[in-house]
Amino acid sequence: MSRSAILSLVLVGASSLSAAVDFGREVQPLFARHCYECHGAQKQKGKLRLDQRSSALRVEEAVIFPGKPAESELYRRVTLPKGHEEIMPNRGEPLNKAETELLRDWIAQGAAWPDNVVSAKHWAYVKPVRPTVPETKNRTWAENEIDQFVLARLDKETLHPSPEADRATLLRRVSLDLIGLPPSPAEARAFLADKSSDAYEKLVDRLLNSPQYGERWARPWLDLARYADSSGYQRDNLWDIWPYRDWVINALNHDMPFDQFTIEQIAGDLLPDATAEQKVATGFNRCVPTNVEAGSDQEETRVNQIIDRVNTLGSVWLGSTLGCAQCHNHKYDPISQKEYYQLFAFFNNTAKETDKRTPNATAALKFSGPYLNLPDTQNEPRRNELQKQIDDLTQRIDSRSEELQKSQPSWEEKVRTRGLQSGQVQALDITDFDAESGSSHRILEDKSVLLIKDENDATPPRDTYTVTVQSRIVGITAFKLEVLTDPSLPGGGPGRGDEKNPNFVLNEFVVTMAPAAATNAGSKIKFRKATASFSQSKFQVGGAIDDNPRSGWAVRPEFSKNHWAIFETERPVGSAEGSTFTFRLEQNNGAGRTIGRLRLSAITGTVNTNAIPLDIVEIVRQSPTDRPPVRQQRLKNYYLSIDSSLEKWRSERSKLQNEIKGFKSPRTLVMQEMSETRKSTVFTRGDFLQPGEPVQSGTPAVLHSLNDGPPNRLTLARWLVDTNNPLMARVTVNRWWAEFFGHGLVATSEDFGIKGDLPTHPELLDWLACEFPKNGWSMKKMHRLIVTSATYRQSSVVTPELLEKDDQNKLYARGPRFRMDAEMIRDNALAVSGLLSLKQGGPPIHPYQPAGIWESKVGGDAITYDISEGEDRYRRGIYIVWKRTSPYPSFINFDATDRNACTIKRSRSNTPLQALTLLNDPVYVEAAAALARRILAEQPSASVEERIQNAFLLCLARIPSAKELNILKKLYDEQLSAAKSNPDSARKTLADFKVPAQTSLPEFSAWHAVAWALLNLNETITKG
Amino acid sequence: MNPIHEHLLGQTRRHFLKRSGLALGAAALGSLLNDDLFASGSSSSPGIAPHLPHFAPRAKQVIYLHMVGAPSHLDLFDYKPVLEQYDGKPCPQEFLDGKRFAFLRGHPSLAASRFKFSRHGQSGQEISELLPNLARVADDIAIVKSLRTDEFNHGPAQLFLHTGFGRPGRPSFGSWVNYGLGSENKNLPAYVVLLSGALAGAGTSLWSTGFLPSVYQGIQFRSTGDPVVFLSNPEGHSRADRRRLLDAVEALNQQQLAAVGDPEIATRISQYEMAFRMQMSVPELVDISKESPQTLAMYGAQPGKASFANNCLLARRLIERGVRVVQLFDSDWDHHRDIATALPRKCRDVDQGMAALVQDLKQRGLLEETLVVWGGEFGRTPMQQTDSGDSQKTKPGRDHHKDAFTMWMAGGGVKPGITYGKTDDFGYNIVEKPVHVHDLNATVLHLLGLDHERLTYKYQGREFRLTDVHGELVKGLLA
Repeated sequence: MSRSAILSLVLVGASSLSAAVDFGREVQPLFARHCYECHGAQKQKGKLRLDQRSSALRVEEAVIFPGKPAESELYRRVTLPKGHEEIMPNRGEPLNKAETELLRDWIAQGAAWPDNVVSAKHWAYVKPVRPTVPETKNRTWAENEIDQFVLARLDKETLHPSPEADRATLLRRVSLDLIGLPPSPAEARAFLADKSSDAYEKLVDRLLNSPQYGERWARPWLDLARYADSSGYQRDNLWDIWPYRDWVINALNHDMPFDQFTIEQIAGDLLPDATAEQKVATGFNRCVPTNVEAGSDQEETRVNQIIDRVNTLGSVWLGSTLGCAQCHNHKYDPISQKEYYQLFAFFNNTAKETDKRTPNATAALKFSGPYLNLPDTQNEPRRNELQKQIDDLTQRIDSRSEELQKSQPSWEEKVRTRGLQSGQVQALDITDFDAESGSSHRILEDKSVLLIKDENDATPPRDTYTVTVQSRIVGITAFKLEVLTDPSLPGGGPGRGDEKNPNFVLNEFVVTMAPAAATNAGSKIKFRKATASFSQSKFQVGGAIDDNPRSGWAVRPEFSKNHWAIFETERPVGSAEGSTFTFRLEQNNGAGRTIGRLRLSAITGTVNTNAIPLDIVEIVRQSPTDRPPVRQQRLKNYYLSIDSSLEKWRSERSKLQNEIKGFKSPRTLVMQEMSETRKSTVFTRGDFLQPGEPVQSGTPAVLHSLNDGPPNRLTLARWLVDTNNPLMARVTVNRWWAEFFGHGLVATSEDFGIKGDLPTHPELLDWLACEFPKNGWSMKKMHRLIVTSATYRQSSVVTPELLEKDDQNKLYARGPRFRMDAEMIRDNALAVSGLLSLKQGGPPIHPYQPAGIWESKVGGDAITYDISEGEDRYRRGIYIVWKRTSPYPSFINFDATDRNACTIKRSRSNTPLQALTLLNDPVYVEAAAALARRILAEQPSASVEERIQNAFLLCLARIPSAKELNILKKLYDEQLSAAKSNPDSARKTLADFKVPAQTSLPEFSAWHAVAWALLNLNETITKG
Repeated sequence: MNPIHEHLLGQTRRHFLKRSGLALGAAALGSLLNDDLFASGSSSSPGIAPHLPHFAPRAKQVIYLHMVGAPSHLDLFDYKPVLEQYDGKPCPQEFLDGKRFAFLRGHPSLAASRFKFSRHGQSGQEISELLPNLARVADDIAIVKSLRTDEFNHGPAQLFLHTGFGRPGRPSFGSWVNYGLGSENKNLPAYVVLLSGALAGAGTSLWSTGFLPSVYQGIQFRSTGDPVVFLSNPEGHSRADRRRLLDAVEALNQQQLAAVGDPEIATRISQYEMAFRMQMSVPELVDISKESPQTLAMYGAQPGKASFANNCLLARRLIERGVRVVQLFDSDWDHHRDIATALPRKCRDVDQGMAALVQDLKQRGLLEETLVVWGGEFGRTPMQQTDSGDSQKTKPGRDHHKDAFTMWMAGGGVKPGITYGKTDDFGYNIVEKPVHVHDLNATVLHLLGLDHERLTYKYQGREFRLTDVHGELVKGLLA
């Protein structure tokens, strides 16, 4: 209906009864738009084609009786009610009234179908010609040409523009539009006090020059670029491409001309002497989701990436649905399948972006760049400092090791003469090992088991190991579990999780014993005590033997070093006839908190944590000359491992090394052309396994011609920004218009083709499209033009008359009013509460999100979502990490997309989940607390009413009415008394926030409620 | 009263009804909502008011049980005695020619199922010993043995099954149904997603709306923490505190509505009320402890635990309350290794719960109007997979297979007690009545009263469908 509403508005003049219908200009485009899909050159349902006179006006089974619309089947079918079985078109929206009336009139007038009808070229494929600015009755309202076009149209509809919005409203509107942030009270005061005639223009210029402008306008661009911080699909690992996001922000802030902005993103790498920045810009096309699921077809992935690049290019620069021509010629628009693959050919010359995980891997894949390395200016000093400390430690370790080696023979002598100590530790030979997750393992020389990261997929989130051991040891008083480091584990281990947190949680350690010959599992061994080298607070080792699957043993932050736990049995166990011990190690924490390498030993005699393992004693007893080198080495390693200084230094060193590893030099994904050109073909039915006719790179014939140049992306990019391109300027200004007004002059901003909507103001669109290159492709100048128009400055109050005549404001008889986007809602709340940090650029940030959103997923690395510390939590939404398969939930609730595909326009819904987000997401609860603090701090001695006024001003940039003030006063009073009578509840709600000085808890609670209510107002999240 | 406000109160309802899906922008209402504003039903509204289906539906709602990772049809439903004769022998060369495999390399050998099959019920449906509970409802289900798909990797295949397209960006099945039929419930989302185990590889794309308006997306009910993200009030903030806060918010929103007349504000007010109601209705809904001990025992459900069995019971509770689409995802069915122990373990996770679901729906008279669908994203190879190099240490499993797999369906107009379609002696290719994923989706939509060729949404100049340009109704499955 909205579409038909526009059409009726557009066509209302054309279809008046008396006027003669022009077949070529009016009827044929209508047929093309609604009928050709089934009754055209490619398909003729019911043997009818409406693109040929002979068939359309056939006599047998006639569908059109010239002069007799009422008897014409065609007219009957298109006028049936929606949902009727016989209605035409039989899918999609029915024709609107203007369209059916046009057909009726055409048939009534004799269904004239000239022999040599020249069908008009679709409007969007004709280069815009700068239209004459129309004269209007009212000569004072217009601020610039935009207004004259708008007003001329309003005149036609006998509507009048609304008065200018009051200055406070206008200030807030233009601030949100240009920098995505509300005005500060100081800015508001300054603007309201500025009585100069160009106060508004000065304000606009200040906003356009603000460094926040680029951040606000990067948001829609990054939606187009399907920018995300992860690769998508099953693995969906994080990747580095944020320097591209920063490039966009910078380019917008510097008002990079749009032609250059385009060229650098499509082909910056191909520019002569391309700078690093120009290469970073090509990240636009590296944002494409990339499938590195094990066993996927790399060529298929590569082809899919190019298809995405071509389709995105079509949507962004041509407003065209090129994707429709991937499998066959486009059904509506004049784009052939061959032309589609000619565009494909431009992108077919970059290397594949996936590779085998390891040279020998059969199926496992990794993401392979190419990355561009960037200098790490930020971490350089710390890195040098750490390296120096590491070198010092290494030196100390080396000299201490040398020194120790001298004393090794005397230590051996001591061990030999002392004989067997009590508390003998004997590593157990493993008969069978099973990981419930199916992970593979290897048993090492030292009898430890190393879990292996499978090529099949990622580390399992949780696991249970079952270890079976056959043993004849008697008198076992304890079992020793060693969890060990290994270079193959992330961060060195001992856990399998991630680099930063290689922890494990051993929830249950259960041992059963059965006679060797028995077939049953045997009986469970009872433990009386557990001790460990180290236990994390709240994760004590006793938790592993308490039969509670929630408690367990973990070792954070003592990573990258070996640990042990000793479990003492209630009574000695083991039989000389042989016993089967089954160890069950349950690790159900999730997020890959599982043990990476372990060794089990039996202890006999009195438990002594310093006892020397039996195999070491055995080596010592061998004469050094008889020892095989492996055993000699094992002995040396053991001897060096028991020295406490060495252990300490090594552990320190590995911590420092991990910190260095944590500094990733910035790098970013870029496009890089191969030296050889790939051959391109049409893919039959779009299937890459069925190559068809070979093609060379080229552009669609319906559009302007390609200039000379090598057949590469640079030539393509220059073609896009060629002033002869009929689409690019229109499509671009239309998207901006939609950002300011809520919808484009062409409502289907993603489709300017035959099936797309017609522009509501075709001349205005063309005028803007001509103005754009004239202004040096300056985005800021175009934005300035729009926001300084009288059209933009109108009040957005909706009168009953306007609601009736133009409910969606397609005619612009009032100013824009619509809900802010997800990022702006959060930025606004942080800004008004005073929490917002304006720190710019750098790696993505991680504000609060509910636990478990990232942590448990099939495939991909286990990635813990660590909430950012300090000011990073309060930075703008544009910097929030975007993980495609589990995006930031509070943004999704406000219609952000998962960035899996190019999005031209987001939905704008109004749901209860949005209410829950603003009411309960800790981000907003905290913002309310900060706003309460601000309210109290800004006016230390003000009355409640004065403070409410100030709070209102902060949130909405206006003074409340008396009624509004009373409503908040009432809330304040009621919450105050509620908190007084129940201070415990208030304390709980505000537990994370400091009560401001000289404020009681109930007062803070009452102000928190006021702030909370303000942040939840429709007006607060609306640009009005 | 302010005359504008007065006018608006009269206007609002009509106005809402005028707003369209294409404009969606402004007033598209929560997927959660069939508020009084929408009760008239005459609507061309895109919101979520119930819409008339294309024709008389056989099912009002659907419960879709998706086994993430793809269970082996050869070990659960599609018994192949011939495979036993060839156990351990190299597979025929034609199994390999022109095929792509995720993991199999070289010339793999065939592997018979290690599990026993027998016939069950009056219908004599053949089901493996791993699913003893499902076997008891054999007469209520239709087993489709001739499914096939286009994709052979998890992420793309999950997307293909759920969105009809192997790459992200298209609307999910549930979103399409939600868009086509709207909601029957006032206080709950129309499309609910429940997970046991880890999130599927393709992630939230499996229930997102793609290019459909975002109101049609699935809402995940989580089994730990808040059942719906941000549902609970902060600690210490009582329902009375919340009411007080909401009253002030509403009063201020009313002031604003009176001043500027934007109907969006009226919608906002109703959404806040809906949120307040959800804070009661959702916890009540997810609390299964009030179910009878018999019911809990039947499902093997344990209140407070996160499990597939609990989710099956929850699915029934959601259906009872008029939720249109309930989708369960259960992870860890990707048995490349040690299928002999891993598959029985997974079957124990789901067998009782899903059989109880069918039985329970039937007992309550809900099965007739509820369609239940079970299956994975593809099948598995009759060839065994042993990871390269270390065949001693790695116990065999099966690789991904897109050319044949099995799903079962029950209720909602599906012919019960039948086996549909047939694969060859190795369960490798379909020999009778193939059912492509597009055919399955066309059929599921049909049962819900939706014509898959007419359920379209215009985006980028094209009328998109769940079934792309394919899909044939599988008439043989209809009761």
